[in-house]
Amino acid sequence: MKRNKPIVALLILFSMILTACGAEATPTAAPTTAPVEAPTATTAPAAEAPTATTPPAAEAPTATTATTGGDTTPTAGTTGGSQPPYDIPVIVKTDTSTYWKIVGEGAIEAGKADKDANVTFLGADSEQNIDGQIRLVEDQITKKVDVLVIAPSNSDQLKPTFDKAKAAGIPVILIDTDADWPDKTAFIGTDNEAGGKLAGEYYAKNLKSGDKVAIIRGTLGDTTHNARQKGAEDAMKAAGLNIVAIQPADSDRAKGQSVMENILTANPDLKAVFATNDEMALGASNAAKQANKQIMIIGFDANPDALTSVKAGELTGSVAQFPKNIGKLGVENALKVARGETIEKRIDTGTELVTKDNLGKFMTTP
Amino acid sequence: MATPSTVPETEPRQGVRAQGRSPGELLARYGAPLGLILLCIFLTWRSEFFLTPENIANIGRQSAIIAILSLGQLAVILTAGIDLSVGALMALCVTALATLAIKLGVNAYVAILACLVLGLLLGVTNGLLLTKLHLPHPFISTLGMMNVARGLALILTGGFPISNFPDPAVTYIGSQEIAGVPVAFILVVALYLLGHFVLTQTTVGRQIYAVGGNPEAARLSGINVSRTLILVYAVSGLMAGVGALVLAGRVNSGPPNAGLGIELDTISAVIIGGASFFGGRGTAGGTMIGVLFIAVLRNGFNLLNVPGEYQTLLIGIIIVVAVYVDVLRRRSSS
Repeated sequence: MKRNKPIVALLILFSMILTACGAEATPTAAPTTAPVEAPTATTAPAAEAPTATTPPAAEAPTATTATTGGDTTPTAGTTGGSQPPYDIPVIVKTDTSTYWKIVGEGAIEAGKADKDANVTFLGADSEQNIDGQIRLVEDQITKKVDVLVIAPSNSDQLKPTFDKAKAAGIPVILIDTDADWPDKTAFIGTDNEAGGKLAGEYYAKNLKSGDKVAIIRGTLGDTTHNARQKGAEDAMKAAGLNIVAIQPADSDRAKGQSVMENILTANPDLKAVFATNDEMALGASNAAKQANKQIMIIGFDANPDALTSVKAGELTGSVAQFPKNIGKLGVENALKVARGETIEKRIDTGTELVTKDNLGKFMTTP
Repeated sequence: MATPSTVPETEPRQGVRAQGRSPGELLARYGAPLGLILLCIFLTWRSEFFLTPENIANIGRQSAIIAILSLGQLAVILTAGIDLSVGALMALCVTALATLAIKLGVNAYVAILACLVLGLLLGVTNGLLLTKLHLPHPFISTLGMMNVARGLALILTGGFPISNFPDPAVTYIGSQEIAGVPVAFILVVALYLLGHFVLTQTTVGRQIYAVGGNPEAARLSGINVSRTLILVYAVSGLMAGVGALVLAGRVNSGPPNAGLGIELDTISAVIIGGASFFGGRGTAGGTMIGVLFIAVLRNGFNLLNVPGEYQTLLIGIIIVVAVYVDVLRRRSSS
């Protein structure tokens, strides 16, 4: 009896929290939330994902036998109804975050567009669960799928698993995150260095030699942020801009704000900042606003908050990448590989600097 | 709730021993304040911008959230516990606050109250997990809570921050100033004065020290150990709610990934501030110095543009030195 009390209390607490979660589904009419709602809407395709996933998974054994039969006639020119479907699992880092859901959306759409494709979208429960991703990949190898499309959670730790795929004769296409694995069929993803360069070049064009600029970057040692920083740094240096600070703020808005306050204190005549993600850029923008300074700030990701801020004339811009393209091109190229066609080893899914001038293309506000 | 004590015995245990004045004891008492002063002198010498009113206000603003969370962490560490969930609780509270105030258009004051109550309830849950489910160590219960709360914050927001509070009442504490002093810092000072009073002048405070010093002796002397433990985790949870409110004002948003790793900053601040990881020893004032030490260090790193790699290295060395000072004190006092 006595022991039941805390358990009941816990149940009440969790049901309260869950009710709070349920509230999220309530639509709102506030215009400011509209862009925020947009990515939330990806939950809808995500909710569809399992539905789209279930049939192929259930059919998997049948599909496998069919493919083995098809193996005797490789690269058949005709893509008629007699052709067996190609099993293409798309395994991302986690299927729980908005970013990966958008990647999955592109993959599933590309799969639906081609009747030979049997696309399944999979991911571990978190980006840190590398073991979970390895298990997912191993299961697909056991199923003898036709092509593996993988966004590796850790490039090094997944290499032995890639080797297993190779031994099983399954081609591996890497998406989003590259790995130093010589046998990959291709890498398809954002060229982060090129993206950073876009920001650097914008400043090179709009500032003059000797002007003070700074870089606020994400977690130290993270290859993605390293590449973004390098692209911007090289372009700024080439233009003779004076980089007075390169400081980490762990991709966090509050930290980005603190770092910017301090950089501004030491460099009151700062002209521009490049932040390697939007959260830090938005924090930096808050700091500049509070200090009553007009400073050019460019972020990375073009997330809804950043676009709203660009629209309001606060952020100068944000480098957009195209996660949906990553999923789409991943599946399209996997199909080519399954049909025996050759594809390029490095496919850039593109980056574009979003500023006030081309905002309409990226903002889906009514 | 707390009955003021009539016995003017400030800083239990520490006051009695201060007469010994062993080198370890002295280092533990004056090491951190001395370190902070030396650091400030160094930075004043190296950067003309360090000792300016704007920069001091910046440090006040930047340290407010860590200061608030560290006060809760201090209460927990005094009982020889640890709260790994403070950052995640703050994230869940701030996303709940943003969901209510922005997405659902709930009245600002109702949303603020809900944010604080949520923090308190989550803290109570931490305490119940530890004392009623008898999980072996607070490391486990709060580690579990850390993941649950972070997960819920991500689910609640779909992974994206919810931004732009319509009512300035929500963002007041985190963004406004009174005569050049950040409101958040005024709140910090008030909370620390209250914390100091409760810890040194009330029965509850004495019970917290007693439970941390020797739980068995505390139980035998009639202290309800479970109740005291639930109380400190509740305080820590409530502080996460207050921290969420300050954060909401500072960034004008409810980011689900807020406060990642901040629990380690709060533990560092409490330890640098002279509290013992073994419980029963530590003060609100000391913790404030620990908080300022970290904040001034980070501020100085940015002012002098010290590369990030060296920042991480230095903070690690300082934590080890601070704990070693505690070890020295324990050795010399036994």
